[in-house]
Order: sequence, then C-alpha cells, then structure tokens
Amino acid sequence: MEHLTAETFDQNARAAIADPVLHGALRNLADNFGERRKVAMASVDDWEGLREKARVIKEETLLHLDKYLLQFVENAENAGVKFHWARDGQAACRIVLDLLNERGAKHVVKSKSMATEEIHLNEVLEAEGIEPVETDLGEWIIQLAGETPSHIVVPAIHKTKAQIADLFVDKVGIEKTDDVDVLTRTARNILRRRFAEAEVGISGVNFGVAETGTIVILENEGNIRLTTGLPKTHIAVMGIEKIIPKFADLDVFLKLLPRSGTGQRLTAYQSIITGVKRHATDEGPDEIHIVVMDNGRSRMLAHPVTRQSLACIRCGACLNACPVYQQVGGHAYGSVYPGPIGAVITPQLIGISKAKQLPYASSLCGACREVCPVKIDIPELLLHLRAEITDGTAGGAENNPQRKRKFVESLAFRMYGFAWSGPLSYGLGTKAARLMQKLVVRDGKIGKASGFMAKLLPPLGAWTAWRDAPPVAQKSFREQWRDGLKANDGNKQ
Amino acid sequence: MTQGNGQIIPPDDARDAILSSIRHSLKASVPFDADWREHHGHSNRLVAERTAVHAEASREALIENFRENLESVGGRCTVVSNESEATGHIRTVIETSDAKRIAISDSELVKRVVDQGAGTEIVENAAAEYLFDCDLGITSAQWAIAETGTLVLESDKESHRLTSLVPPVHLCVLRADSIRQTLGEILELTSRDLSRTVTFITGASRTSDIELTLAIGVHGPGELHVIVIAD
Repeated sequence: MEHLTAETFDQNARAAIADPVLHGALRNLADNFGERRKVAMASVDDWEGLREKARVIKEETLLHLDKYLLQFVENAENAGVKFHWARDGQAACRIVLDLLNERGAKHVVKSKSMATEEIHLNEVLEAEGIEPVETDLGEWIIQLAGETPSHIVVPAIHKTKAQIADLFVDKVGIEKTDDVDVLTRTARNILRRRFAEAEVGISGVNFGVAETGTIVILENEGNIRLTTGLPKTHIAVMGIEKIIPKFADLDVFLKLLPRSGTGQRLTAYQSIITGVKRHATDEGPDEIHIVVMDNGRSRMLAHPVTRQSLACIRCGACLNACPVYQQVGGHAYGSVYPGPIGAVITPQLIGISKAKQLPYASSLCGACREVCPVKIDIPELLLHLRAEITDGTAGGAENNPQRKRKFVESLAFRMYGFAWSGPLSYGLGTKAARLMQKLVVRDGKIGKASGFMAKLLPPLGAWTAWRDAPPVAQKSFREQWRDGLKANDGNKQ
Repeated sequence: MTQGNGQIIPPDDARDAILSSIRHSLKASVPFDADWREHHGHSNRLVAERTAVHAEASREALIENFRENLESVGGRCTVVSNESEATGHIRTVIETSDAKRIAISDSELVKRVVDQGAGTEIVENAAAEYLFDCDLGITSAQWAIAETGTLVLESDKESHRLTSLVPPVHLCVLRADSIRQTLGEILELTSRDLSRTVTFITGASRTSDIELTLAIGVHGPGELHVIVIAD
C-alpha cells in the first residue's frame, strides 16, 4: 500500500473529510477519551501542579541531557545492559538488523513503539527476510492490513469493527463476526504461538531513569511483558529524550501519562526493568540491548521553543482534543506522528521543506496546549515553524515555488503590523482599506463573487475561495465613538 | 555500523557525535532561554522539588481502599483473616475456574497456602512451554498500592514474571501489611533495593484497540483474583 506523505497534507485532508467510513470510526474518540480523561484527572489532588512539575523536570533534564544520558547509560551498563548509539534511523535499523543476524534470529516479536515506527524498522527487517510480528492488538491489525498507525495510542482507530472482521476473515481465516471479544481472542491465540517461538523481542521505552539505569514501559494488554520477558534477547529502541533524572520522578509521570493517554489511573501493567537477570536460572532474557537514537532530536535543543518538542511523553491527548485531527484522522498528516504534536515534530524530524503544510494544519485554537500533561505550548511551536517557513530560513527556501506567495504574505503582515503600531497609522490604514475595498466588495461582502481583484491579493483569494470576508465598516467604532461623544455633549447642553 | 555512503563508523564515534550535537545545540539556545522562561512564567529554578507524600491511614482503611480500587478495574478481592482461610478460598477459585493445571511462583507464602488437591497438577516455577497450557497462575506480591488497586511484584523476591502473566487466570495472595496508600510511597520502598524487574499489575489484561470497545484478556490473564490476608 502506498502511504500518504506530509508534503500533501491539504490533499490528504480533503480526501479524509470526504470519507464517511473514517468519520464513523473517529466519532467516539473525543467523547470517549475526553470524558475518561476528565474523570481520571479529578482523581489527583493538584493536576495543574503536577503538570508544572513534569515540565520543570523535563526542562531540567533537557538542559543537561548529555549528563543525564551518560548517567543512564553508565548505570544500565553496570546492570549488564549493552548500549548502541545511532545518529539516525538508518543507523538504528542497521544496529537492530546486525543484532538479529548475529543471533540467527528469524522469529521476532515486537511491542508497540513509536521510535521503531519512526525509523520504519519493520520494512528494513522484512527486506532482509526477517518477519517482525507486531503483538499489540491495534498494531497487529494494521500490520495485517499493510497500513501505518493513525494514532499514537490507538493505532487502528481509523478502522471500524466490520473492516477489522473482514480483515481477519481474509488474512487468518476466521468466520465473519461482529463480536469484539471473538476478534480479540483470535489475536491472543495466534500471537501466543508467535511469542513461544520468538528468539528476540523488540520494544520501545517510555522512560529511562538516569539515577538507576532503569527502563519503564507502560501497557494494557500484556504483550510488552511477554516481549520483554519471554525471548532470550530483548532489544529496546529509545530516543535520546526519554530520560528522566530520578526514580522518584516516576511518581509524576506515572500519574500523568495513563490519565492523559487513556483516562486510566494506571495502565494494567508497568514493566520496570533494571538490567539483565542476576543468575542463569532467573526469569527473563539473557541479554538486553538498548539502542539510543538521535535521528534529528538533538537539534531541537537549540532553541527553547523547539526544545519543548522533546518534553512530549506520547500520550496522544492532543490528538483526541484537536478539532482538525477529529475531522481528518491520523493518516492525513503523512507521518507516524499525527495530530498537533505530529504537526510540530514531523517537520523538525524530516526537515521543514518536506512538511511545509503541517504547521498550518491547525486553527491555533489551543486545545492541545490545554490538555498537554507536560505543558508543551504547541500553538507557539506551530507559529515558530510558520515563521521559519515565511522568513525563508527553513531548509531549501531558495528553490521554494511558494516563495513569492510567502513574500507577499510576509509583506502583508508587516504592513498589518505597522497599521496597528499606533493610533495615527491605524486611522490611516482604515481609511486606505475603505477606499481600496471598493474594488472587491460585492453585495456588501468580500466573497467568491468579488472576482478578479480579490485573486490579485493571494491571501485574500485563498480565504475567500471558501468563505466571505467582512468588509471594513463605512464608519469605524472610533469614529462613531467620537461623533457619539459630540452628539451626547450636544444633548446635555 | 554502516552509514548511507557505505563508510563504517565505529560505535564510539556515533556516541561522541550525538553528545557533541546535544552540547552544541544547548549552547546555541542560551541567548534565547531567559526571555522565553520569563514569557512563559516559568521560574528560573530548574530543579524540581521531590517529596514523597506519605499518607497516614489505618490498616482497615488501606485494605478497604485497595479493594475498592481493584474492583473498579475489574479485579476480584477477598479479605481473609488467616492463612488457612486463604487456603480455603484458593480451593474455591480452583473449583470455580475448573483449573486442572496450576502454576505457582517460588514464594514461600504461596507454597504454604496452596494445598495439593485431588485432580490438580501443581508446578512450581514452570517453564514457559508448560505455562502456555496452565489454567491458573498463583503468585504473591511484595507490595500493593491502595489508591490505584495495584499489585507490585519484585523479581529478586519472587519469580513472578510469567506465572502472573501467561495463564488465563491470575490469583495473587497478599499480606495486608504490604499495602501502602500511594504510588509515591511504593516507588520509594521499591527503590531501596531495586529488583531487576518490578512489575505493577492493575486489573486484568485489557484493550480498547477495536472501536474503543473494552475487551478483557488480550495477552495476559482475563481474570485477576486477589486474596488479602489480614492477620
């Protein structure tokens, strides 16, 4: 299946909006998760204080990331973990592939991991004849369908029960059913055999604790416990930003993540893993490898606005709250990270010139900022990235076909800024606009009928293609106020 | 490892390159940092205060709170007053779930309270292949969190990882004095002598991956029974 790309968000979004099946699948998202989240939030005393604390911990970590990362690695190495460093996704895939080949592994089970989605690990392994089996129910469904996840927490949210049932009939030969329990049991039975035969388990990481060298992974299904507990070798892939300094900091993040992600006080399971087993007869894998991956993250540290992106704990709350995501779903973003957080992370990871539409895939309503458990100011980040695009400081601006339009837009905003900078320029600006708009106002509004002249002004043309713009009033409020005062004065006398 | 151009880069170079990129970026950020923090109303105090909250609660209140929260996530909780009552209740669970093959952990408490009944096969520390055919797994837990109804199992104290996970029913026998009110207290207690794997268990295995509809017992147990011994 051909996957959508971030470059064509506008087209992708239009197609998604016209897809009634997708709307059916997404309809429960906001109500369901939104309500559960509110109930779960109320079960802690000081939610706002907790968010602030999380943000301070993350900021502290990121400002000393080199130190905390090294502390994490040293402590985990002391507990027997082997480390591998990867500058980019290609290197990370290569490391995993080499580890599998060295062990002659053919059967690999995987638990849900956004980091491995980001680097398209499965495609790389499949090309080398290794079949990595996704074991999270949602991830397994989309793997069977040959699709990509459309939500950070619920990867198959875009699919209806009926579509999933058809997929199971087609791919694993069950009888047609509309019973979710039957579908779930089918996955359990098939994947049990895969767990039993797997030589290697690959997982992601939610938190890496510097103080103890511990990795923490949250889940509800039990597939992560099987992936990290059953095969002889466990490989974990993590971005450099997953570090938290202290074990006690888990108190903050284990309260925030499940409540924000799924509206639970805790997910069913937390695996808190510190190194390999002590004795050969103990349970657990013989070896643990952790791949520490940069892949575009370290450059986000170079400005406080972009640095916020690295505080993200991948809860998905901003997706559920976003009016754009609710309409277009995850695939339209053309990236493994969809929704508001995807709109800011994707351009930074893959280069802004390859995702120029994403920072505009938002109405800046701020719902994402309201729900973010680590207080990332996503609208601020979106504006920051938009500024990079219009200033032409974004990569590849010289050959940018949109550059002329961006110049006009940039000029328009500069004039707008000047007009609002003082009472005199404001008054002049209003008068000029009133004079100029005579060219485009038809039937008292600026709309599609305004025709040729509106198209000459590109931002106005794009706006009025879909809706009317109100013209500047014949008499401004300031003028009415002034006249009114005179009139009132007259009345008093 | 091989880079795109086929050049072999030793692993240490990748580590050094990542660390130097982190340091380089952080340095570039400095001129913007103070303004931004002020704009966002963040304090310049960049070290978070970390204080564990210790809640004072009576034994009875802790048990009751734990039971309530465990049941709210679908777990079944029975409070008994001594080990022989626990043995009796374990027998009931075995009978009602019609368990023939039973896996138990190496916990001394579990070994004491599980009796070899007729018609059942009980195996301690079973191998993975055997566990896939078991009907019931019985473990203890080192701690429990009342505010979330969570069981906390430490691998250095008890070989729990697969017995509590693979069979379709998990039964856990817990001493009441191991219950604490808050997550923070438990993190502090477990961190004193951190086991190689600490597992938190809150309710049965679950998923909402199909149309956000709750389904129980995906990869882990579909039933969780907890017996609290309050002697």
